[in-house]
Amino acid sequence: MPPSTTPQTEAPPPKSPGSEELAVDLHDVRKRYRGKIDALRGIRMQARRGEIFGLLGPNGAGKSTLVKIMLTVVRPTTARGTILGRPIGTQSVLGRVGYLPEKHRFPVYQTGRQAIEFAGAMCGVDAATCRRRADELLGLVGMSDWGSKKVSTYSKGMLQRVGIAAAMVNDPDLVVLDEPTDGVDPVGRKDIRDVLVRIRDRGTCVFLNSHLLSELEMVCDRVAILVQGEVAAQGTIEELTSESRRYEIEIGGPPPEWAEAAGLRVSATSDAGAGTTTLVLPSAEADAVQPVLDRLRTDGRVIMVLRPVRESLEDLFMRYVQDPETGKAKAPGAIRKARASKGGDA
Amino acid sequence: MRQTAALFLDAYRELNHRRLFWITIVLSGLVVAAFAAIGNDEEGLTILHWSIPFPFVSTNFIPRADFYKFTFAQLGVGYWLAWIATIIGLVSTASIFPDFVDRGSIDLMLSKPIGRARLFFTKFLTGLLFAGLQVTVFTLASFLVIGLRGGDWEPWIFIAVPLVLVFYSYLFAVQAAIGLVTGSVIASVIGVFLFWFVISLVQTGDGITLAWRITNEITSERKVSRVERQESRVTALSARLVDLRLAAEDGDAEAVDQLPELELELVDKEERLETIMLELADEIETLEQSRSINGWFHLVNTCLPKTNETIDLLSRLLEDHAGLMRPAAPADDTVRQFGEMVGRGEFQERFDAELDASHGPFWILGTSLGFEAVVLGFAVWRFRRRDF
Repeated sequence: MPPSTTPQTEAPPPKSPGSEELAVDLHDVRKRYRGKIDALRGIRMQARRGEIFGLLGPNGAGKSTLVKIMLTVVRPTTARGTILGRPIGTQSVLGRVGYLPEKHRFPVYQTGRQAIEFAGAMCGVDAATCRRRADELLGLVGMSDWGSKKVSTYSKGMLQRVGIAAAMVNDPDLVVLDEPTDGVDPVGRKDIRDVLVRIRDRGTCVFLNSHLLSELEMVCDRVAILVQGEVAAQGTIEELTSESRRYEIEIGGPPPEWAEAAGLRVSATSDAGAGTTTLVLPSAEADAVQPVLDRLRTDGRVIMVLRPVRESLEDLFMRYVQDPETGKAKAPGAIRKARASKGGDA
Repeated sequence: MRQTAALFLDAYRELNHRRLFWITIVLSGLVVAAFAAIGNDEEGLTILHWSIPFPFVSTNFIPRADFYKFTFAQLGVGYWLAWIATIIGLVSTASIFPDFVDRGSIDLMLSKPIGRARLFFTKFLTGLLFAGLQVTVFTLASFLVIGLRGGDWEPWIFIAVPLVLVFYSYLFAVQAAIGLVTGSVIASVIGVFLFWFVISLVQTGDGITLAWRITNEITSERKVSRVERQESRVTALSARLVDLRLAAEDGDAEAVDQLPELELELVDKEERLETIMLELADEIETLEQSRSINGWFHLVNTCLPKTNETIDLLSRLLEDHAGLMRPAAPADDTVRQFGEMVGRGEFQERFDAELDASHGPFWILGTSLGFEAVVLGFAVWRFRRRDF
């Protein structure tokens, strides 16, 4: 049955285990745009309070649509779940949410301070608190000296900093940041990362949408990878990369004869002279590598390097967005014509 | 309430930022200064300390307070507020809704705990701030000029504020809807001026066809009277002819002599009656045609906002309550209208009566605000359903 064109958010969301800790608890979020384009195809996602949650995905995977549905900017076709314990689409809960959209645009006639105070007032924060918070937040994002200047005079990085401050003015329990470090220099990025960690440490859930995987890897407690409108993977970086965790042992000389029987894989062998060999033990446990090391020593082999190896977030990301058959990146976007879906998913 | 106050404060900042707002305020100041600079005395018109002998505007002809009130209504409201300031206002506010729905800006607004309908209507009201401030400043300044220079502190002058604001709101509603749907400043400027032009044509068409209809009614009624007179003449002549024939049959020689002449006269009068009846049939056909066309124009006009008539209503209210000079009653002569000669006084009396009956204040304001409600209803429906 095709999804209805009217939003269906009335159904009581199923409770996830430990749901009181969840800032974002989504079940079966779908969005079909006109022209029967499925942007989201049943998203299930949880982000906890007091964690930085990274949302990854190639262009057009549906990240922005998902974020906009959470913030009522886009109406879902169907959506079950909660934001801060209230059903998706509940207007009042937005007073406890901070949001920095991608390519946000403050009115040119506002100063940085006015932009922050206006955002606070729109969240129902009283004027005195807005003023006090604006002072604090301008300091926090390193914009104290620029608060009374018009935003039209700001650089991209300064706009991002003020945008983050505006998203924080209502002291939110959930902060959704879409590409917060876009256009920010490396020093600024470090500052922003520090700010995010401080926000997280106060018990706020930071929901981060970014393309900069290395940035995310540095700050995110948990991530979800969105591919073609579906969650391809979700969990801590540790969990997601656990399968790829292994030990690499570089030894002098050719591979030992017993290597295969001991569960070792020969990764590389050098040709020159006596040469070196790299053995791979597919285990994350340090205990598992000890017998191998003992046996190598017994054989009189020189152990040159021993290193634990783990997939980077970028490797993980590429693993999910690449088509395993062709080795090429999957078709960009979540776009899937309904007609195509009749014959099978695109 | 905090959100509404924040939106109004932001709108004020936006207006403050727009140069056109200040240009219009300065121009309004100049218009009021010019208004204060002119006056009338026993000789005629005065400009600052110069006196120009125009007897027809002298205080003997028009009291000083009436002179100022008349100038305020005719030039201040009729030209400045209803045309020039409105055009500047519409150009100045054209970007409010396109900027509002612009990507990056709308996300920030919609992600706040405020309903879309409330957000839209508050934004619409903040847009009316432009016109509201302009007309209030202008009317207050004019009130002071009329009081200080004319010696008449007339509070009814302030009726201009709500009526001009209502007039502006008809157009701004259309502009807001176009801006919201298209997101284009150019489209909202061109669209609203085109719409204003079309409704002006319809209002003019309604007025002209009403005048045509009334002219036809007058001439038809006149023709009916002529037919009736001619019929009574024919009846009288026929009766006389019967009497004459009876007398002739009785051998009255004089009657016999008069009979042919009277018979000819009767034929002539009957032919004349026939001609007039044919003319009446034509008149009635034209009258029906004019009624039908006027009916259509009136129907379309009823469905659309009435900008010109709202400003005319303001003039009428000022005449009734602010002691504004009424135009002199038309002379009781005849003028040619739509090819027919009609009495100017009779025409004007019937035209005014028809206007009072079918173009009353409730019709003007009620139907115009009804149209505005439909446009705003459509815009808010669209805004609530739209994904950004």
